[in-house]
Amino acid sequence: MKKVLSLTFGLLIIVFMLTVITGFDRKTQAPARQAELKVFMSFPRFRDQFERYFNQFKAKEKAEKNIDVTIKLEMPNPDQAGQILRARLASNDAPDLFTLHAIADIPTFYKAGYLTDLSNQPFVGALFGNVKEIVTYDGKVVALPLESLAWGYLYNKKIFSDLGLTPPQTLDEMKAVVNKLKAKKITPFELSFQESWIPQLMMALSLGGIVTSEHPDFVDKMNKGKGSYKEVESVFNIIDLIMQNGTDKPFEVGSAAGSADFANGKAAMWVQGPWMAESILKVNPGMKIGVAPLPVSNDPEAAMINLAVSTSLAVSPTSKNKEVAFDLLNYILDKKVSSALFQELKFNPVASVHKYKSYPWVDEAMAYVSKGKAYKDLSLPQAVTDETAKMLQSYYAKQATKDDIIKALDKAWADSIKASSN
Amino acid sequence: MLAFVFPALLFYSVFMLAPAIGGIWYSLTDWNGLNPSYKLVGFANYIEALTDDPIYLKSVFFTLKYVMFMVVLQNAFALLLAVLVESRRRSKVWFRTIFMMPNMMSMIIGGFMWMFIFTKVLPYIANHTILHFLDRSWIGDPGYSFYAILIVALWGGVGYLMIIYIAALQGVPQNLKEAAAIDGANKIQTFWRVTLPMILPAVTIGIFVTLNSSFKVFDVVYALTGGGPGRATQVIALNILEEAFYRNNRYGYASAKAMILFVIVCLITLVQLRLMKIREVEV
Amino acid sequence: MSSESTNAIGANPRGRVGSGLIFLALVVVAAFTLLPIAMSLLNSLKTDGEILNNILSIPAHFEFSNYINTFRKIKFMRSLWNTVVVATVGLTGIILFGSMAGYKLSRTRGKLSEFLFGLFVMSMLIPFHSIMITLTKIARDLNIQGHIIGLGLIYIGLGVPMAIFLYHGFVKSIPRELEEAAVIDGCGEFKLFFTIIFPLLLPVTATIAILNTLWMWNDFLLPLLMLTDSDQYTLLLSTNMLFGEYGNNDWSAILAALVMAMLPAMALYLLLQKYITKGIAEGAIKG
Repeated sequence: MKKVLSLTFGLLIIVFMLTVITGFDRKTQAPARQAELKVFMSFPRFRDQFERYFNQFKAKEKAEKNIDVTIKLEMPNPDQAGQILRARLASNDAPDLFTLHAIADIPTFYKAGYLTDLSNQPFVGALFGNVKEIVTYDGKVVALPLESLAWGYLYNKKIFSDLGLTPPQTLDEMKAVVNKLKAKKITPFELSFQESWIPQLMMALSLGGIVTSEHPDFVDKMNKGKGSYKEVESVFNIIDLIMQNGTDKPFEVGSAAGSADFANGKAAMWVQGPWMAESILKVNPGMKIGVAPLPVSNDPEAAMINLAVSTSLAVSPTSKNKEVAFDLLNYILDKKVSSALFQELKFNPVASVHKYKSYPWVDEAMAYVSKGKAYKDLSLPQAVTDETAKMLQSYYAKQATKDDIIKALDKAWADSIKASSN
Repeated sequence: MLAFVFPALLFYSVFMLAPAIGGIWYSLTDWNGLNPSYKLVGFANYIEALTDDPIYLKSVFFTLKYVMFMVVLQNAFALLLAVLVESRRRSKVWFRTIFMMPNMMSMIIGGFMWMFIFTKVLPYIANHTILHFLDRSWIGDPGYSFYAILIVALWGGVGYLMIIYIAALQGVPQNLKEAAAIDGANKIQTFWRVTLPMILPAVTIGIFVTLNSSFKVFDVVYALTGGGPGRATQVIALNILEEAFYRNNRYGYASAKAMILFVIVCLITLVQLRLMKIREVEV
Repeated sequence: MSSESTNAIGANPRGRVGSGLIFLALVVVAAFTLLPIAMSLLNSLKTDGEILNNILSIPAHFEFSNYINTFRKIKFMRSLWNTVVVATVGLTGIILFGSMAGYKLSRTRGKLSEFLFGLFVMSMLIPFHSIMITLTKIARDLNIQGHIIGLGLIYIGLGVPMAIFLYHGFVKSIPRELEEAAVIDGCGEFKLFFTIIFPLLLPVTATIAILNTLWMWNDFLLPLLMLTDSDQYTLLLSTNMLFGEYGNNDWSAILAALVMAMLPAMALYLLLQKYITKGIAEGAIKG
């Protein structure tokens, strides 16, 4: 027994030494004519697809420019990604390419000097106008859009057409729809509040609608420390309506379970983006998904589609292999292969190189956009979005009142101004 | 001497002492974790945490409530199980093995398993039997989720304490019990008068082990409710994490909160050491 | 020891009823303890539809595809390997450095020795949550964040004080004559330690190995803070990520993952049960 144990420990020590040595060894090896790119993306679920795509890129770069590219791909969980990225950038350890949230991150990142001007890159010419606008800051294109979104809430087209309903445009119309659904014993709204970002979507849409139609200076005022959520208290009208007419036990239902419920017709509407389409269709491939703008008041013009580019790819100005980084960036929107990638990821087309047919729900949303019923996603501090998420959960659980929410959001906004000013 | 101590000291200093001292330092600043520059703000963070942060205070009180329940219930159940298991002859090894099992796995795994029980198995039982009261939102209703957390924590923790108590029970000299029996004491009297005083040291250990571990509770809550709905079940550890890594990344402020936790745990441990000293002197 | 009391119970009929009741109570508690584990095992072998309709029954046929799919999804071998590397690096360091320091501090008298020992013991007062924020910063500055070996190194720093404490106490029970004889034979300090002392420390080494392996294997928060890339994830982190993806929906996949993640620790427990139970009891009483 003693011998066995001491032998084991001896072995352990050897393994320990070997792992340490090989670990360091790997870092110091650097053959000639090699370029290493560190790529940071918050898409762990798409790891395989991107790895394959990057391998194609490596082959191309080797063949055309005789550069041996190694790509170190890091894909943290979306929950952590922002935090990790900010830490890297702040400690001068920036990845060569990284994903960021176009609307929330570009202004602060740009001011901090973390973004490279990409205006002269070939891919820019192919971008669609409305998409390009969102990744443009200070007159310069600073990121390559990956996910472009036009979203409202989702509805079950079959239930709606069976009952002869059309997507309501005002609060009163929505109440009528809710009553008709209830009369037929159909639950109007799917509630999936286990993940706090989902209830947050209700506020994103209702605040977007109310602010754009009634209080266009709200964000400015809040940033100057002069506003309050009290002014936009009417955002709660639709939220209350949804919460009172939703499915049971929402805190046990996350995005995946919500998709399954919605796909199985457990509820007629779901405040969720079309980014859930893939998981909905996986459960029910024949499902007809509709996208409509969320009514927020009795002004039909205030029901609007949210236009956003969420995840975009940027290049660090401190990159040592900028040329290769630019090549990779342009390859993402390559004429020949980009279409297949974007279609596989179920992303919307962002540039003229994307030749695949867009999904019907995208067309439906874009029809509203072409009528002018759309707004550009509001730029709120991340801390306010996080706080909204938590507070709406508490609100449903009757742990917080409207006034608590207003107070908490005002404080979160004030704190984040304070935090970013020093 | 230093050649032997140096490696341990190096790792210890870098990963334990430095963060502890650094934490004290940062708790006095407004550092946000990213900016290279920050300034000293004195005790402002501490004052804010203790007077102007209802969320933090709520998490502290929630944790305190949890600690109290755990200290009483976990030790009572563990002692009871230890006594009952020790009274068996052939089956005792089996029971001990089973009761220890949950302790071998991470509470993350245990928490997810219980999530399945709470959200799928219990509603199923409720729908198919007369036990309708089982159909509740165990995880989502703040009125019940505290008890759900408690059940899972007890499930995971009782076995560990039971082992300590069994070891203590085995140390009680048999002749003492026999003497009590000869004097006409029944089993229950023997337990209260003879056994319990003899295993009191183990009870002290058990209480402080529970105190220490339940102040640091994280895994169970993370797996079951994530602190939600909203912040209804947020414990101190989750609150510190949220402050530092979400919201406005106020590292300095979060460090102050962490130091307050440190002081609480420190006080408890010092009391523990003092009590043990006193007892050693008595023995 | 308890055989006497059970004999006494068996001697009278009232005692036998009481004994039966105790047995029944224990069986109920045991069933409660095993319930989540059994439910996970059973349902991990069903399809999602069967889980919905027959949650309590034995699977109609064993759906092993759950395991095959999940095995791939959580990159089981990779996660297992990562966990093993972390625990190996940590454990080796803790035992090697802890025994060296514990031995020397125990054998040396003087202010410095006392001070150093006190310094190590003091750390047991520090809760992990109080240092975690600054620890992530230090790990980042040292460039070891996001690497399993770096994580193992951090565990050395966190685990070594308790090991020193236990070794320190144990060394006192070893007679000095052995060392004195070896020194006379011209044996160097390190050689003396590794050839003569270290083997003698085996009982306490076993305790330390068990306690630390359990701790590192089941620790969740530190890896969560330190590992950023899903290729470096430990078993627990991979399972957590899968749960995040399927949250409360695709239970057949989640349960299969839970069973797989639980398996290594369970197998070890059933194999080494005697030592583990002993190690835990000793660790708790001395620590």
